[in-house]
Order: sequence, then structure tokens, then C-alpha cells
Amino acid sequence: MRPLNLLAFLLFLWGAVWALTRSERTVREIQRTYYSWLTPFLTGGSALETKARTFLDEVDHSKKLEEELKIIRTDYERLKQVEAHSLEVDAENARLRRALDFQKRMDFKASAAKVIRRQPTTWWQTVEIDRGSESGVAVHQPVVADGGLVGKVDRVGDKLSSVILLTDEACQVSVQVEGTPEVGILSGQRGQYEREPLLRLRFLSAKARISPGTRVFTTGLGGLFPPNVLVGTIESFEPGPLDTEALVRPSVDFTDLGTVFLLPLP
Amino acid sequence: MIRYSLSILLMILFALVAQQFIPALTGVYNSRLLLVTLVFLCASVTVGPPVMLALAFICGFLWDAQGALGPPGGDPGVYKYPAESLRFGYSIILYGLIGYLMQGIQPLFREGKWQFSTFLVGVSIFIYLVAEFLIINFVRGDFHFPRATLFQIVFTSVLTMLFSPVVFWILFQIAEKFRYEIRFEGLKKKQRRRRSLA
Repeated sequence: MRPLNLLAFLLFLWGAVWALTRSERTVREIQRTYYSWLTPFLTGGSALETKARTFLDEVDHSKKLEEELKIIRTDYERLKQVEAHSLEVDAENARLRRALDFQKRMDFKASAAKVIRRQPTTWWQTVEIDRGSESGVAVHQPVVADGGLVGKVDRVGDKLSSVILLTDEACQVSVQVEGTPEVGILSGQRGQYEREPLLRLRFLSAKARISPGTRVFTTGLGGLFPPNVLVGTIESFEPGPLDTEALVRPSVDFTDLGTVFLLPLP
Repeated sequence: MIRYSLSILLMILFALVAQQFIPALTGVYNSRLLLVTLVFLCASVTVGPPVMLALAFICGFLWDAQGALGPPGGDPGVYKYPAESLRFGYSIILYGLIGYLMQGIQPLFREGKWQFSTFLVGVSIFIYLVAEFLIINFVRGDFHFPRATLFQIVFTSVLTMLFSPVVFWILFQIAEKFRYEIRFEGLKKKQRRRRSLA
């Protein structure tokens, strides 16, 4: 090996060891700096994406209109389009009302956030939201949606934060099966990419009396999530010699996360 | 040489920003185009080991800064078996390894046979992703290698590999602009052939 190559290799090894031995705090600082550089691109890109989507919707809309005009060309059709648009607005209105109602239903103060990016990494199930430390977001803050628990905040930037979803193996939640004393730990499953992923509920007692369709709620134990937040329903279960494991269908549609709510830390 | 290396660095940074807007193909097992890895692999075959290692460090460092998960938190009495996270910096080692793999076929590349490098880009990404998933299995225990994960890795490798000729073309353009000779051995052969024909 040539001396220059050997020197480069040794320097590379030193650099790798230096990076591998950084403390959690230093890593978080590095990530904060990295994302503060990247935030303008991310927010700009997100705005551009919204504009592009609106433009495409408009193009799609006008094409449909043109086709219909070609077929009938009457005012009736024009009014039909207006009606369709009004229905769309009605649906949007209903969705927003539902979200508002959800916010009212919550016992605790919840702040809304918009999901701007889904699963930016290869292996982790995460989303980026448009709220950061400037909006008072903190690490491990619980995140919910209209249907129930979504996950928790993993990394906080100034303007953006990353949320680790319930479908990830690293997001563990202490839960209780409704109507039973059964308490276990719920988490996502490794390498599961189905449209409707199932969650794994472990450490239930060996003689657990549970039935499919029973709802699962957070216990509030462990200091991460508040109690009585709906997580999902039991899909199936398998008793073992030491404990029982169950598969849980999440109550939230993770493929359709638009607006989420941040709950205060318990 | 310096201008070429700096332009590669700029290209990697640009790829990093562009990577943020490349979504995972949910219909194809969440596979995705790994643009940063692609640019690194294509560039690493065109430079010497010192520059390749410097690029591997930068790429691995930035990749981990982007994706590293935080500590699980919560009461250890309740969450007794937290899923371990990968240590910050592991990607640096993986990038270094696949960089050396690409360097292995540099003689072929310098003869102008870039097709081999294109194929090896796919192989390197496959090795990189398999290694990453095996490390996850190792640190978290409970070995799982679902078929869906294998498909995800294969489709990601193929998808990324398909884009490598474009990156090679861009690198050739940059090299030509900065008069950096990538394929000098191939060029020498061509010159020899021309001379013998004359």
C-alpha cells in the first residue's frame, strides 16, 4: 500500500471511530445543525410540492370539465361542476370540523401539525411535521390523530420535527386490553410494508382471555404516553408457554396522515 | 484533480438535498432511489483511495445525521426491552467498504468498460442494504429477514443501478471540463490502436 493511501486509510479509521464514540447529546447537536441547514430546502420543497399538486388537480379538473363540455355543452353541466366543487368543499369542511371536534374532545391541550414528509429513511417508519422547538415541541411528545395514537416525537428541530410512528419497532407503548386486566407492550414489526401493517402486542399473561375485535388503549405507564388513548383492536392472538402474543390492527390509517396532534408530555 | 474532487463533493451535497424529495415507492415494497449512495459509488471508481475515503466519511456522516434515531426514553421498569438504535457513524464504515469494492474494478473502468461499474453499483447497494439490515437484526436480536425486505433491497438496488449511467455521464462531463483524466488507460489503448491503423 502506498504511504499516502495508508495515511488516508488511518485517518478514515480515526474519523469513523470518532463518529462512533460520540455521545447521544453530541449526535443530537449534529442532527440539529444538519436539519437547520436542510430546513429551507425541506419547507421550500414542501411548498413547491403543494403547488404542483394543486396545479395538477386543476389540470385534471379542467380536463374533466372540457370533456363534459364537449359532450353536452349546457349550463346544466356547468352547474353540476359547481355542485361537485361544493361537495368537495363540504367534504373538506366536514374533515376540518371532525379535526376540530377531535381537538375539543381531548381532555388535554393538543396542538395541530401538518405532515410534510413521509418515511425519509430506508428502515425507520417516521414522518416529518411542520412544528419544531419554536412551536414548543419537545422530544418524546405523544402524537395522535383522529383515530388514535400515531407515535411520538423523536427529533426536534427549530421549525420541523420527526415523529416515529407506532408501526416502527422502536416505538413501544404500554397498553391494556379493554375489559381485561391484561397489560402488555405494543410495537411495530420489523420489515413490514403492507398497506395496513399490524402491531405486535407482547408480554400478555400466558392465560390471557382476550378475543379478536377487543379494543386496546394506552395505560399511561412508563411516562411516555397519556392513559386511555385508543391504539387499535385485537386481530388475532397466540398463547405461548410463558406469555401470550397478539396482533393488533392500528386504529389510525397510517397511509393517510395529513394532520396530527401533539399532546403535552405526561 | 482538486477541482474535480470539489465538484464531486458539491454533487453529493446536491444529491443529499434532492434525496429529501425522492419518495419511497410504496407499491414496490417501499423501495427507493438512493441518490447519495449512487453518486458516491459512481464517483468512488473515478478517484484514488484518499479521495474515496474522504467522500465515504462525508457521505456516511451526513447519512447518519439524517437518519439516526434518538434514545427510546420512558421508564426502564416498564419498557424493559427497548429496540436498540444503530450507533451514529456505522454508515461511515459501510460507505468505506462499498467504496473499496468499487475501487476493485477501477482498472476495468479505466479501460473504458464502465458497464461493469454500473453492474457493481447495483451489487454494492445490495451489499450495503443487506449489511445494514443484518446490523439491525444483530443489535435488536430476534433474527428476521422477511421476503418483503429482500424484495425491498433488490428493487432498491436495481432501481438505483438503472440510474448509474446518467451519473457516470455527468461525471465524464465534469472530468472533461476540468481536464481530469478518468479513463486514461482506455484512451491510451485507443491512441495505440489509431497509431497502429495509421
